[in-house]
Amino acid sequence: MRNIIKLIILSTILLTTTDANECTKCHINKMQQCKTNVHFTLKKAINTTRKTFGIKDSNVTLQTLPKPPKTVKKPKDLVDDILRRKCLRCHLTSQTVNPTKNLCLACHNPHSNKADSFKAKPSQEKCLKCHNGEFIGTDYLGKFPHDYDKSYRSPIDKDGFYPNAKDGIDYHFLAQDIHHQKGLTCISCHNKEGGKNWLKPKCTSCHQSLSPNNHKSDHSRLSCTSCHASWMVNSYNLNIFRDDTPSYRQWRRLTMQFDPKLEQFLVNALKAKTPPPPKMVDYLDNIEKRGIWYSGWKFKRWENFLLVNSKDGKIELAKPMFQYKISYKDSNSTMVLDNISQVNGKKIEAFLVKHPHTITKKPKSCEQCHNNPTLFDKTQINKTLFQGKLIDATVLTKEQLEKMQSRKYKQERAKTLLK
Amino acid sequence: MKYFLLIVLLINLLHSKESCLNCHSNTTSMDNFHDIKTMGCASCHGGDKNALTKEQAHKGIVLNPSRLEHAQIFCGKCHKEVIKRVQKSIMNSMSGVLDTLKFQFKETKQITQSGGIEELKAKPSSKQSLAEDHFSKLCAACHINQDETIFKSYTPRGGGCVDCHRVAPAKVTTNGRSVKIIHPKLSTKIPSSNCLKCHNRSNRIGLSYFGKFESEGYGTPYIHGKLSHKLDKSRFYYDLPADIHHTKGGLDCIDCHSEVGVMGDGKKHLHMEDALDISCQDCHNPTFKPSSNYPKAAMLSALNGNIPLAKEIAVTAKKGTPLYNVAKDGNKTVIYRKRDGKKFTISKLSNKPYHNLDIHKRLDCSACHSKWIASCYGCHEVYFKDGKQYDWIKHRKTKGQWMELRTYLRYESPALAVGYNKKIMPTAPGCQVLTTIYEGNKTTHPFHSFAYAAWDPHTTSKEARGCIDCHFNPLTLGLGNGVLDMNKSGISFMPYYDSNRSGLPISYPIDALISKDGKQFQSFSRDNARGFNKKEVNKIVDAYKCIICHGKYDDKIYKNFKQSKEKFKNKQTPCAKELLK
Repeated sequence: MRNIIKLIILSTILLTTTDANECTKCHINKMQQCKTNVHFTLKKAINTTRKTFGIKDSNVTLQTLPKPPKTVKKPKDLVDDILRRKCLRCHLTSQTVNPTKNLCLACHNPHSNKADSFKAKPSQEKCLKCHNGEFIGTDYLGKFPHDYDKSYRSPIDKDGFYPNAKDGIDYHFLAQDIHHQKGLTCISCHNKEGGKNWLKPKCTSCHQSLSPNNHKSDHSRLSCTSCHASWMVNSYNLNIFRDDTPSYRQWRRLTMQFDPKLEQFLVNALKAKTPPPPKMVDYLDNIEKRGIWYSGWKFKRWENFLLVNSKDGKIELAKPMFQYKISYKDSNSTMVLDNISQVNGKKIEAFLVKHPHTITKKPKSCEQCHNNPTLFDKTQINKTLFQGKLIDATVLTKEQLEKMQSRKYKQERAKTLLK
Repeated sequence: MKYFLLIVLLINLLHSKESCLNCHSNTTSMDNFHDIKTMGCASCHGGDKNALTKEQAHKGIVLNPSRLEHAQIFCGKCHKEVIKRVQKSIMNSMSGVLDTLKFQFKETKQITQSGGIEELKAKPSSKQSLAEDHFSKLCAACHINQDETIFKSYTPRGGGCVDCHRVAPAKVTTNGRSVKIIHPKLSTKIPSSNCLKCHNRSNRIGLSYFGKFESEGYGTPYIHGKLSHKLDKSRFYYDLPADIHHTKGGLDCIDCHSEVGVMGDGKKHLHMEDALDISCQDCHNPTFKPSSNYPKAAMLSALNGNIPLAKEIAVTAKKGTPLYNVAKDGNKTVIYRKRDGKKFTISKLSNKPYHNLDIHKRLDCSACHSKWIASCYGCHEVYFKDGKQYDWIKHRKTKGQWMELRTYLRYESPALAVGYNKKIMPTAPGCQVLTTIYEGNKTTHPFHSFAYAAWDPHTTSKEARGCIDCHFNPLTLGLGNGVLDMNKSGISFMPYYDSNRSGLPISYPIDALISKDGKQFQSFSRDNARGFNKKEVNKIVDAYKCIICHGKYDDKIYKNFKQSKEKFKNKQTPCAKELLK
């Protein structure tokens, strides 16, 4: 009888667990820890974005992000709006990623999760709810997002359905990360939240003895990923356009916008006899506000990569991010901003050092770097791809490039091939 | 009696003015060669030129005599020979497309020539095969004898001779009883825009030549709040380097593609490449013949009006037909642009090792000189059996509806394969078909057929691709994107694309034409065409061992390559001594 009462109490608690307090009854320390956590504040993502829009010395968090100004004159007047209605679709208490409203449950599996046998460890599935699409995360599984146009919903499966697009986009499958193949999940490496290894685990903490034959001293400055990441998600030129008028028709083939909510709105709006006013939800205060944020790329590629010098002296991979082209049409159909790609007189286009999670045992071939067309082919076809500025990194110097094609390299390479 | 006839003749002469002009007094001439004053209207349009009423005059009149069913009667009075050729040409029958499609759809085991458009006109829709239905609904909009009036939201195509030759449209203005007709202008100076009405899909050479690449469809950048870079309602492009013949000389399609190549040589051909007459060497390493041997060249030159007929003109290597705009000018070869007669000097094929060495004698010019090739991976053909769609041959909606999906697009340094001419040519997917058919509640995937095709991408540049771009690039070899390496046990390759997990019904990467051992994963629709075999792959990659250091043609080892190889084998060269220790 006692047990039954216990069970009833426990299940009511579990069913009504809607806020973090329920967890903090026992895990009070963890809650404090969480409040300074990057997942909670989203400081880096927010401030880097604000910086590229021309807001200097930006230091705000998800909790202190100001409301966007009412009048828009410059791109920077739009940045908080796009953060709130586009980028910050993903945050711990966002309805779309965490319908429970319980802060902790955004990442941690509740104790009742049978599959996880009462462990509160975050499952990979939870991480990939946010870390997907263009970003590092789903690439670990080999996933590369399809293009948006409706002709890319292929292949149709055997039951006649389009590919799964739960994230707001469907995927190509490329070579998967070897750690995934061997059964490791995100937290196998990104363990001890808040600890030293959490954000940037080191490969060498597991791989302590590297074969000296394959890891020559000439390459000591290279990060592991520069060679062992096989491909990466490169999405060029992010065109963003806020339209406060109900002009939906031109988007009829582009309703898939990597945002399931927006997709549903557009599909309905295109079907409706009288088009609804353009509205999109602010993911922070959950209020619908005027205007739709549309986005589109120039193109996406997995085979290109760019090597750069990072600020901590390593040679790393960089991927195109923040290559904005910004447009804004207000409700009077005035183009307030028309395809703007400059902020404060400077091009916004930028590349960011990234560590693609597409690790393979077999590294890139020597030629992929030493004859990398994106570094060495300065013809028109490639040069337009990598004109951007680098965030927290510098381009390879002339000396470095010369060294990469030096006689010494060539002879060494020839020797290994002629063996 | 004699006098009577003479009087009749005299009356006729005095009244030779056609009655057409009584109403259509404000009608302009088509051009100087077809002057309304000398030719009248009826010689081209039929009808009764002596009639006094409209009804009688318009009896048997033809609005567009250049439609091929009329052309033999009207245009044929003067242009009989050329109309015969055009009627047999592949741009009329479209049999090349239909027959290849049937082969790719696995309906025929071998490509045999069909009657193309004409054959399907007579075939009831219900008896059409899947490929024939696909052709009727997605391909058949383009053929030179298409009915121009059926196009509502797309650029009109067809109309017979005017499809290509019309350079200015008709304009009719009525003011009370007076009707002013500006006659359409026809010309042999065909603007490329006329060719591009059709030649903008499939292998997309019409777009590539002008530096346009059909894009993934984002319509970016957004300009003035609109999607930009539109090709048509739902297709977009972005700019890439154009063909040098366009950037340097502004040459039009017709400056290279000669009269015989385009309008046909009087024979029925299986494929476009068989109908084609010209090759790069016709201009860059030409054979000249006296123009007096070719009356047609004199006629075409006179028709053009801007191009003088030179004493010696180039003659094509393939069919021996004259190119009246390519001439010998002293020691030089010159080309006259047909549009305006502007003269350009043609660079001569150089004598350098890269063109002379035996090792590259199998290469087509396009293998090295093409900058990029438009590649469209995965063509998912979806068929709704219960749907309805416009049939471009029957000109009405018939049962069955198609939708096309695709996997991804690329513009890339071209992969190479052995082409239809047994030469090594650029290659790209063409086409990688997978099918889904919806019928009632049932979904079936009847077949898939993954093929490559070789063609000249029309992205020619003066500078050729570098040695490494072929000799150590997995994509060029036909292996697809991934990591190519070499070790003691030979070539190794790790592909990026995972077709199986991507849901494709194939066991190889979608961009792999061959395996590293030369196994042919994907097929070609041409007899001679194939990916590289094992021996070729090994030979190409093997050469890279030397190319690492000797990566330029001015390197001395290429001066006498045979000797250099011997020396290396006998360990007499410095590198052999050092590296083969």
